[in-house]
Amino acid sequence: MPRDTEVLVLGGGSTGCGIARDLAMRGLEVTLVERGNLTDGTTGRMHGLLHSGGRYAVSDQASATECIEENEILRGIAGHCVEETGGLFVQRPEDSDEYFQEKLEGCRECGIPARVLSGREAREVEPYLADDVARAIEVPDGAVDPFRLCVANAIDAENHGARVETHAEVVDLLRDGDDIYGVEVRHESGPGKRTHASPGTTEEITADYVVNATGAWAGQIGAMADLEIEVRPSKGVMTIMNVRQVDTVINRCRPKGDADIIVPHETTAILGTTDEEVSDPDDYPEEQWEVDQMIDTLSELVPILEEARTIRSFWGVRPLYEPPGTGTQDPTDITRDFFLLDHADRDGVAGMSSIVGGKFTTYRAMAEEIADHVCDKLGVTASCSTADEPLPGSENIETLEAGMDDFGLRSPVARRSTQRLGSRASEVLETDEPNPVICQCEGVTRAEIRDAISQSGSDLNAVRIRTRASMGNCQGGFCCQNMANELHPTYDEETVREALDELFQERWKGERHALWGEQLSQAMLNYALHATTMNRDHDPASATGDVDFAAFDGGRTASDRVDGTQGAD
Amino acid sequence: MSDAEQPTDDGVPGDDEFEPIQVFPEAEEMDLRPGADNCYKCSTCDTNCPVAEVDDEFPGPKFQGPEQWRLKRQDDQDIDDSVMKCSNCMRCDSACPSDVPLSQMHNTARGEYVEEQMNKFSREYVRNRILANYRRLAPLGSMFPRTTNFVMGLSATQWLGEKLLGITGEREFPEFATETFREWWTKRGGANVDNPDKRIAYFHGCYSNYNTPEVAKALVRVYEHFGYEIMVPDQHCSGTPMFANGMLEDARRSAETNVRELAAALEDGADIVASCSSCSMSLRQEYPELFDFEGTEAVAENTWDAVEYLRVHEDLEGELEGTSVDEFDDFAYHAPCHARNQGLDGQTTEVLAPIDGVAAHDVGDSCSGISGTYGWKAENYETSMKIGEEMFDHMEESEANTGLTECPTCSMQMEHGTGYEISHTLEVLEAALVGDRTEAAAQ
Repeated sequence: MPRDTEVLVLGGGSTGCGIARDLAMRGLEVTLVERGNLTDGTTGRMHGLLHSGGRYAVSDQASATECIEENEILRGIAGHCVEETGGLFVQRPEDSDEYFQEKLEGCRECGIPARVLSGREAREVEPYLADDVARAIEVPDGAVDPFRLCVANAIDAENHGARVETHAEVVDLLRDGDDIYGVEVRHESGPGKRTHASPGTTEEITADYVVNATGAWAGQIGAMADLEIEVRPSKGVMTIMNVRQVDTVINRCRPKGDADIIVPHETTAILGTTDEEVSDPDDYPEEQWEVDQMIDTLSELVPILEEARTIRSFWGVRPLYEPPGTGTQDPTDITRDFFLLDHADRDGVAGMSSIVGGKFTTYRAMAEEIADHVCDKLGVTASCSTADEPLPGSENIETLEAGMDDFGLRSPVARRSTQRLGSRASEVLETDEPNPVICQCEGVTRAEIRDAISQSGSDLNAVRIRTRASMGNCQGGFCCQNMANELHPTYDEETVREALDELFQERWKGERHALWGEQLSQAMLNYALHATTMNRDHDPASATGDVDFAAFDGGRTASDRVDGTQGAD
Repeated sequence: MSDAEQPTDDGVPGDDEFEPIQVFPEAEEMDLRPGADNCYKCSTCDTNCPVAEVDDEFPGPKFQGPEQWRLKRQDDQDIDDSVMKCSNCMRCDSACPSDVPLSQMHNTARGEYVEEQMNKFSREYVRNRILANYRRLAPLGSMFPRTTNFVMGLSATQWLGEKLLGITGEREFPEFATETFREWWTKRGGANVDNPDKRIAYFHGCYSNYNTPEVAKALVRVYEHFGYEIMVPDQHCSGTPMFANGMLEDARRSAETNVRELAAALEDGADIVASCSSCSMSLRQEYPELFDFEGTEAVAENTWDAVEYLRVHEDLEGELEGTSVDEFDDFAYHAPCHARNQGLDGQTTEVLAPIDGVAAHDVGDSCSGISGTYGWKAENYETSMKIGEEMFDHMEESEANTGLTECPTCSMQMEHGTGYEISHTLEVLEAALVGDRTEAAAQ
């Protein structure tokens, strides 16, 4: 029976997009389906650390070695997604000297460049470090934008012929006896680019081989074909600070624990994290005390955090997995390694493998291994080139930075825009039209917004993850409507309105966990602005029924006018 | 990894190491990103910015301050050149409802811009350096004041100034006095009053020393009228024109001297008063924002505007009740931005109210537009005059034919725009309390 595609990848996170790119570059026909936007699951809910491996240098040296190898590869192929910040493992007076020494030796055993700094030297690198930080180990940690990296993988997969469908939720696995041959998906607004306010459709997509890369949701997918996959989703909270208090990744140098990392991320700093097992990756409590505790603990490293403004908090779920029978109680003890479950070997059901576990930094290596496995299954001989071929946006990045153009933009706007766009900068920013800044917090111009819209239809959250527009301190209060405005006239009023509502809701979701101090003022101002200038508190246009115009009176008559003048009726 | 690449400094001492006293960072290296936390983007600063009001190309204080800082990374070197269009009127500081340190951000960014990006051989840099360091040139001018005034008044000089340096030829250079205030003070034998209980240290600034010593003399007579012992410590420029031109190193040198001398006066039991509103602003706000010499905070906390000090420590209005003044008519009064920022904008009209024969008509809250050296630059002249238009109109509409203000450059602008003669509030107080100048001079 002819199939729609050779390989069907489920899940548009870093793993899924990485696999799709890898297989597409090997010449296979690939389709990827994702329930929401790319990165909507775990990828878009991480702290943005590009591991040097230092974190695992004591507990898990195999992972540490893999991290440093992949770290170096990503600097090469994804320069426009990576910021080479460097990282410090800092030791406070109460932290153990033995562990510090073990960490240092571990780094060196794994080939991770590591250097000891005195407390004073560490404070020269990061002036806001606590006065009593005793010393630190410097490692090549970095910051990575998971959105940009994931999107770049998807774009490159498409460039190599893949079909990428977002907002296409898998509703069933197609199973014929002991053979899985595809899925049924529900397109939220029909196939292709998303358009709000368009009717949904369903589609059966058949494939020679299915790769289940849905991470924490892998168990739910498996269950559709009566397969049991024991993922143990574990939630972690992350809090986004309004500004970068540090320009280097700051790790606490102690065995393990919650709240031990600060990652500079674009214009912000992200505090992380916690580790607690949950039963449902879509429904778990988000508690304020988790945020409070994290800020308190990390203030021991960077005291200024205590008083600093947070703009939102979010929770992510790790797709942890351990083979049946391991019986680990504490989720922090579960391995971060990934597992490739071939359901033919494991369950006697052919046509599908699931990937669980793993971590963002090594997504490419995972994808390579899985792509090898798929090729093996399909009898294809083609080798992997993802370690050498730069992602779209990262070609010739050094020459680009050397001759940086300002595209008529103010310097910090030009700098941030070209960093986001990488080698695509001139293609996107060179325009004869006026190019005003749409998102002032992040310095995103109209040209960049329009470029993102051209990639992602009416979905403003997809525009957000591509550009960072609405991710700054006003959390979209000042720019959501201007972003929505760019959808017109391609999209009609109803579509634009729905897209705006969806983006603004999404912004509010994270901001709810930052409602004190300045961010509370911000939320109040956002509310007042939207209510008074756009009627968004009681907008008759968004009411379901028709407006009862007859209920309004005819206004004041001429004789009522205070100034006694006669106006038009 | 080879051994050669392995640093062998494992034995770095831990918490017992010697840590020298923290050296504060240079102002242009300060990290002001956390200041952006206070901004919720309401744009009140932008709507209060006089430059943004008349110049669509100027992005406004919100961009210059919290937005630009927030977008910055430690290793970024580039500051947008629009920061040089900010006139440093500091209105954004008082407009902000949320205490964003806007002018500190602007001053620091401007310092960084000049340090890192401005060509030190460019005409702009040389011109700005000259304007910012007016105090270094003024002594030369006042050595031969008549010759200097003659030369500076020549249209050829103005033409050259514009062509060579980009100093506008539209304005007339202020005249140098034939005798500086300090010369007068020395000749006079210093203070006429000794009073260990009531002492002030007078920060006269450059302008009332070299150009308008009558203002400084008025201060002396008014304060001696109230029985104060006046000290006139050594002093440099307050730094205002240096901040405005991004010459933070020059400002630092001047501030160091000023803080040292004024802190010593505090030790002697004096409070500090200034007759120029920009000088008092600088000592009170900019010094503690930008510098950390010993005594900076104490100097800032004990510095006053000269009239404000008398209102608080003496019954100034009571003393003025029933006095009269013949030599002045009604005034069109302009409150300088830097006085406004200190909360002093209503002061002069209130203080002059009890005096018979004069009234101060407030000409509104617009900026005069000159902002120190800003309006002297050829490229800013037009903007400066556009900003000033509202003030000129109000001056002409008010029932007065002379002007009054506490800021030297505002007074230049007021005179330039209307042709009115401009006085300082202290001169009016002198006339009311001590009598006219010939009488006063006889004292």
